[in-house]
Amino acid sequence: METIRGRLTAWYSTALALTLAAFSVALYLARRSASFQDLDQRIRSEAALSAGILAESYRARGVLVRPDTAGRPQLIQDVAALLEVVPDFLIITAHDGSLLFASSDARALTFQQVEQLREAVHAPRGARPSGTLRIEPAGPTIHFALHAVPDAGPQLGAILAGANVQTAELGPQQLLSVLLLVLPVGLVAALVVGSWIARRALEPIGQIITEVHEISDGRSLHRRLAEPMVKDELGRLAETLNQMMTRLERSFGALRRFTADASHELKTPLTVLRAGVERAITTRGVPQDALAPLEETLQEINRMTELVDALLTLARADEGTVPLHKEPVDLRAIVAEAQETGELLAEEAGVHMEVATPPDAVVVPVDRSRIRQLLLNLLTNAVKYTPRGGSVRVQLGQSDGRVKLSVADTGVGIAPGDLPHIFDRFWRADSARTRTGERSGAGLGLAICKWIAEAHGGQIDVASRPGRGTTFTVTLPRGS
Amino acid sequence: MKILVVEDDKTVGQYVKRGLDEAGYRADLVGDGDEGLRLASDGHYELLVLDLRLPKISGIDVLRTLRDRGHGIPVLVLTAQDAVDFKVQALRMGADDYVTKPFAFEELLARVEAIGRRPKAIAPPVLRVADLTLDTGSREVRRGGKPIELTPKEYAVLEYLMRHQGRVMSRTLITEYAWDYHFDPGTNIVDVVITRLRKKIDHAPEPRLIHTVRGVGYVVKA
Repeated sequence: METIRGRLTAWYSTALALTLAAFSVALYLARRSASFQDLDQRIRSEAALSAGILAESYRARGVLVRPDTAGRPQLIQDVAALLEVVPDFLIITAHDGSLLFASSDARALTFQQVEQLREAVHAPRGARPSGTLRIEPAGPTIHFALHAVPDAGPQLGAILAGANVQTAELGPQQLLSVLLLVLPVGLVAALVVGSWIARRALEPIGQIITEVHEISDGRSLHRRLAEPMVKDELGRLAETLNQMMTRLERSFGALRRFTADASHELKTPLTVLRAGVERAITTRGVPQDALAPLEETLQEINRMTELVDALLTLARADEGTVPLHKEPVDLRAIVAEAQETGELLAEEAGVHMEVATPPDAVVVPVDRSRIRQLLLNLLTNAVKYTPRGGSVRVQLGQSDGRVKLSVADTGVGIAPGDLPHIFDRFWRADSARTRTGERSGAGLGLAICKWIAEAHGGQIDVASRPGRGTTFTVTLPRGS
Repeated sequence: MKILVVEDDKTVGQYVKRGLDEAGYRADLVGDGDEGLRLASDGHYELLVLDLRLPKISGIDVLRTLRDRGHGIPVLVLTAQDAVDFKVQALRMGADDYVTKPFAFEELLARVEAIGRRPKAIAPPVLRVADLTLDTGSREVRRGGKPIELTPKEYAVLEYLMRHQGRVMSRTLITEYAWDYHFDPGTNIVDVVITRLRKKIDHAPEPRLIHTVRGVGYVVKA
């Protein structure tokens, strides 16, 4: 289950199902046990009743047994008629163990089965006073109770009263089938209700998630969650989140102030430096010896300015507050604009450069100056890392609603171990990559390229083989 | 034209004031927003060069107050912030243009000229060095009357050198002018442009017009 709601419902239902099952089993066992106690009680009373009838009849008549026509001893007719009212199995034996009476249920049994009952009564080993007996073959299982009849004359032996256990099973089994019917219905109802309760309980959390999402987009940090009056778990959660957002807002504010302060504090002295150098350099009649170091100073000031700009751009990008000013631009125009600069760079480095653009316009909403910066960064890099005689190829194309801008070179390439790091800030490849005598940049160019591509909803990828060349591919969505 | 410069950094302020004075304007310098707002409201000045970070009242507030009072004085904003939204904010508040620190004075001057209500006096429409002419209106370049085709960057570099003919222009200044944003190619890309320009312009036996100043840059002179 994906959601807490689903898991809660599942756990809750499982717990309920187990509880219900345990309850049902206990109920069934208790009911069954009571039912068997009733059964035993019944047969004991039946046996006692029969013994009472026999004793009464003996007192009244003095004789209870007469031989039948075949000479076998039989209970006299009137007494037997009295005993017919006793239900279930009733067996009465004579003193010598012969059968004197069998109730109608017992008479329905086969001779062999009746013999088994008779032996149970007259077991020479001193019969158990009660127990369970399975009547063989294929007869019912009965509970029985034995009863002596001391007050009914010397001819009488003992009484066995028994009842089919099925009569005791019937009630519990009915209960079981009712339980089996009710249980699933109850479970389904519990699932529905449980899921509803979970949804009710978790609804405020969903609301908090939505609100936090809206707040944390970087521009709405001043907003806060509504804190419920009740300080339950959700109230405390909202409170904690609000405290966290206050701290976030504070640190974002500090960062914003820092970048603004840093801009000012770093750039004002640069402006002063620049002003002086520029003034000196453009004054007429300055000797040439003095001009060269001034020009070098000016170059350094520009590098420094670039670095400060790059750092501040990345700092603000982290904060998520660098806005892009997107407008529909034909990327072919940006490529064409950069082409001359690229060709000049390539000519200086003795590298061949070619540009391939599609015949149709490739109009994409982009921040023109940022995409130009991205392309020039890639071009400068490509030329820088391509030895004399190599080539650089810029290609613009589109497919599947995405625009691809790639810069491929036949340069020195990037070692596979370095590839994952090239977009990191301040990262630099082994100095062996650069042509000697050239100063490398601060190592922020590709980090900025990556940020520009991603800020446009796109990405930048690199493929490289050492000694064969490198290809950077920028992919932009057509309608971002 | 009288210009009020509001800048709290004395050196930058003095530099701007002196540069404007030398360019034929009359500039006054004040160091805080309070005084800047008071003087700008007087109506004595025709243009305001305003730093955004000032003591007492910030530049943005000076600008907002001026515009709220219905004051239409043209305002050129100096900002240390490179973020585009900051510039957009300043423009929305009623600034006419902005220059990002550190700036080339040439850039500041060009923008002052552009927003000041005064035609460009410094730049004649046709620049001329010996028999080389460059028409800044039609962007036509001729040497000895023969038209010469130039690429955009070649034109920009030549125009810059011809505007300052007789003066040594450093590679960095040329690069800044021809590539209108911060662009550090890491190589002397200007040298390539100059080589191309020479092939098109400086044919023997005519006298060479583009001269190299070793270690610094180039100068155009007859």
